[in-house]
Amino acid sequence: MASEVLMPSSPSEAVSLFGDGAATTVIGGGTVVMPEITYGRLAPDRVLLLTNAGLDTVAVDGDTITIGATTRVDALAELGIDGLTACAGNVADGEIRSQATVGGNLCVGQGHEAPRGDLQGALLALDATVRSTGSDGERTESLETFLPHRHARLVLEVNFTRPAASAFAALEYPHTHEYTVLAVSGTRTADGTIRLAATGVAGPGARLRSAESAASDPEAAGAAAVNDVTFADDSLASAWYREQTLPVLVRRVLAQLEEST
Amino acid sequence: MKAVGARVPRYDGVAHATGRTEFVDDVRIPGTLWVKAFRSPVHSATMTNLDTSRAAAMKGVHVITWEDVPLLEYGHLSALGIPADEPLLAKDEVRYLGQPIAIVAAPSEEAAMAAVAAITADFQERPALFDVRKAFDADAPVIHQEGNWYTHFENEMDRRQIRKGNIDEAFDKADLIVQGVYRPAAIEHAPIETQVCQVVPEANGRLTIYSCTQALYFSMGVVAAHLQLPLNKLKVVGGTVGGGFGGKVDTATETMCALLAQKSGKPVKWRWTREEEFLCSSTRAPWHMEVADAVTKDGWILGRKMLTLHDSGAYSRFSPYGLTKHSFHHTGAYSIPNLEFNGYVVYTNRTPTTAMRGFGVTSVSFATETHMSRIALELGIDPFELRLKNANRIGDTSPNQIAYTDPSTVPTILAIADAVGHDLTSEYAGMTPAQRSGDLLPEHLVGQLGNPEAH
Amino acid sequence: MNLTINGVETPIESGPLTSLLDVLREELGITSPKAGCEQGGCGACTVLVDGEPRRSCLTPAASVDGAAITTVEGLGTPENLSPVQQAFTHHYAAQCGFCTSGMMMASQAYIDGGGTDDREAIQHALGGHVCRCTGYVKIIDAVAAVVRGESFDPNVTAAGTAMTNLGGMA
Ligand SMILES: Cc1cc2nc3c(=O)[nH]c(=O)nc-3n(C[C@H](O)[C@H](O)[C@H](O)COP(=O)(O)OP(=O)(O)OC[C@H]3O[C@@H](n4cnc5c(N)ncnc54)[C@H](O)[C@@H]3O)c2cc1C
Ligand code: FES
Ligand code: FES
Repeated sequence: MASEVLMPSSPSEAVSLFGDGAATTVIGGGTVVMPEITYGRLAPDRVLLLTNAGLDTVAVDGDTITIGATTRVDALAELGIDGLTACAGNVADGEIRSQATVGGNLCVGQGHEAPRGDLQGALLALDATVRSTGSDGERTESLETFLPHRHARLVLEVNFTRPAASAFAALEYPHTHEYTVLAVSGTRTADGTIRLAATGVAGPGARLRSAESAASDPEAAGAAAVNDVTFADDSLASAWYREQTLPVLVRRVLAQLEEST
Repeated sequence: MKAVGARVPRYDGVAHATGRTEFVDDVRIPGTLWVKAFRSPVHSATMTNLDTSRAAAMKGVHVITWEDVPLLEYGHLSALGIPADEPLLAKDEVRYLGQPIAIVAAPSEEAAMAAVAAITADFQERPALFDVRKAFDADAPVIHQEGNWYTHFENEMDRRQIRKGNIDEAFDKADLIVQGVYRPAAIEHAPIETQVCQVVPEANGRLTIYSCTQALYFSMGVVAAHLQLPLNKLKVVGGTVGGGFGGKVDTATETMCALLAQKSGKPVKWRWTREEEFLCSSTRAPWHMEVADAVTKDGWILGRKMLTLHDSGAYSRFSPYGLTKHSFHHTGAYSIPNLEFNGYVVYTNRTPTTAMRGFGVTSVSFATETHMSRIALELGIDPFELRLKNANRIGDTSPNQIAYTDPSTVPTILAIADAVGHDLTSEYAGMTPAQRSGDLLPEHLVGQLGNPEAH
Repeated sequence: MNLTINGVETPIESGPLTSLLDVLREELGITSPKAGCEQGGCGACTVLVDGEPRRSCLTPAASVDGAAITTVEGLGTPENLSPVQQAFTHHYAAQCGFCTSGMMMASQAYIDGGGTDDREAIQHALGGHVCRCTGYVKIIDAVAAVVRGESFDPNVTAAGTAMTNLGGMA
């Protein structure tokens, strides 16, 4: 069952080898894909291994930041954005963070046992845009519109503006690999706009828009947040537990944003 | 006696630190076939139409099912006269998710996975039971061939029971009855080395078995019995265990690998995946314990009534033994003179349960210690003093009438009080485990005293 | 493909998606990295890739083509134990020994990276590694001792720092 493994050596080569992406499995860091292969749940015919594709560049231009898809999760801390640093630092452990990529975190399917894709929350709160390629060619769109149909797309880069303040709060899980049970990310822009997003809810990460509109009253924002998302049971926690704790995390994030005024 | 009292280096310390310790998975034998299992995908079902023909027809693949096992049922405690209830490979009934049905050996791990994927069977599912208390209900569906609990304690009694002193009198005299229900959950041992075994058919007709077992002679006997071979046909190489904690007492892999080595004439290796380890290996049992204690206002425990349900999982394995140990320890580290204990080994559709670090005893320690604190709370007594007062002392007797010669309850409680900075009155702070006398030998404890010299 | 393993350049025949763990264990017979879970969850397979600790079970061979790999076999020998190996022996940091290779490689990287003897920092650095036997205290003792430059007689076993993990509770 040998797969065809393609190793592009430039972004443009990656784009052309990916093509319409229909029958291609992308590997970024491999931290999710490799066990699937080892356990025989995935036997890809055609693999695009991004190691040498040159997609790991981080460009900072004033307040505009562009990060390549294969940027390692631990490299995000260097940007000095508190909420993003905390969110990235909460993914797995140091060894995994130095191998796992941002693109992989955005494109990972929902876990059955535990949520994954933690960075989605921080990047949604940053109102990031995603540049990707696929069957209809290249596209740049908000992460929020990208997430629901990320299947069969190749992420090339993610772009966002440095916020005035940012924050992150998560439910801790007492275990060495604290897959995050539930997390909330928040940002405040220079003009005072507050954005909130959650991960660990049913489906991919999601913006908490009702909570955002009630942000001036943290109690009300917390209560409103549960209407923005749906909850699911998994091996870490029940939907009920998550519903009880989401308001708490929203209040904590708003308090952190308030403090950094 | 150079080692007594000295800090001796570990005999295997340097081998561990240089990565040279040879664990079972590190044994390298050229031409070894990989083993994988076709397991029950459901918790409880009647199985029909097991078809391994497509797998068996694959190149270099060998398959075994129940038909290949000379003695299909042999219990882990058969040598002690406890009847076997578990087939090595499921024949027509499956009673837990992951129960092995057919085992394949193939030239590579991928080929073995492909062979397993080619095996089929039909499963007519039945309701499954996962809660030991519900399985004990009179109207629970029957899930085990012998009924929902084990019936082979001495004289074919259906429970392990202990009677000591006069329980009715104790409850009559009590100022207060303190009750509690305690339900510790199952725990997976989760050794970092998963279950693993290699078997090599030797030219002299013997089978060499490299095993991670914690119980080498148990495993040897179990393999020999299933294969109907004399012990001198087996050479078991053990002693290097990558963590066991009780989870490597059951003979999980050796017998099936031995059969495959015989059938294929080739060395075989079976290393469970982490997923198999969690889903299919035995766990520590969940327990259901109901405790009612007859206590006096000044903190003496006159008597205990206790009902224990030990969740055996789908088959009995070592559970009757674990429950017996549990019964002997059911007063914890304390002397309670009047006892009525009833314990049952109850079947559920969980993975069969087994030993783990203090088999059967940790459960009752949890119940007893929690219950002691509950009694102290209800009586408004210092929990340390309550414990020290009722602590086992030299000459006190256990539930099964063994006189303690060197009980450590008193020094342990004193050490804990010291460690957490809990102040005790001098009366308690100066306690020792010495034989009871004076205020510490109230009338109700006299009759239980035994002779420590007798042991 | 080629790997430089413990200083020796080695041609690799396994397929590009074979995990580095399988390359080491199955193709090359280097058995110190262990297959504890093959899904990134235990750390028993950790080796150094160009000096960085990596879960070899998660690493496709092709992604490290040309890299320098260090395993426990590259640390020291029984006659000439490296400081980490001495400390693990002296401090009784290996009980069953199955997690030990991964623990030592991660410890080595932590020390090489200028880590301090702060227990919390060590705990953090080894956070991806599961040990079911030791309770971690002695492992942390060992790493801290190496950072402090202590030297040991591997024929003597140290007294443990018993209960250090209760420090915050009392
Ligand atoms: C022990 C352990 C703990 C973990 N803990 C966490 C955690 O706490 N939080 C968390 O979020 N995750 C966690 N993960 C999951 C995973 O490590 C991360 O989500 C990681 O960021 C995935 O990135 P990767 O590059 O390794 O993904 P890969 O395995 O390479 O890919 C993951 C998925 O994304 C696709 N993909 C990869 N790159 C691209 C791209 N550029 N464009 C399109 N598709 C792409 C792949 O095809 C695949 O479907 C954990 C994993 C392990 C093993
Ligand atoms: S085997 Fe690689 S982390 Fe467990
Ligand atoms: S020493 Fe056994 S797992 Fe760590």
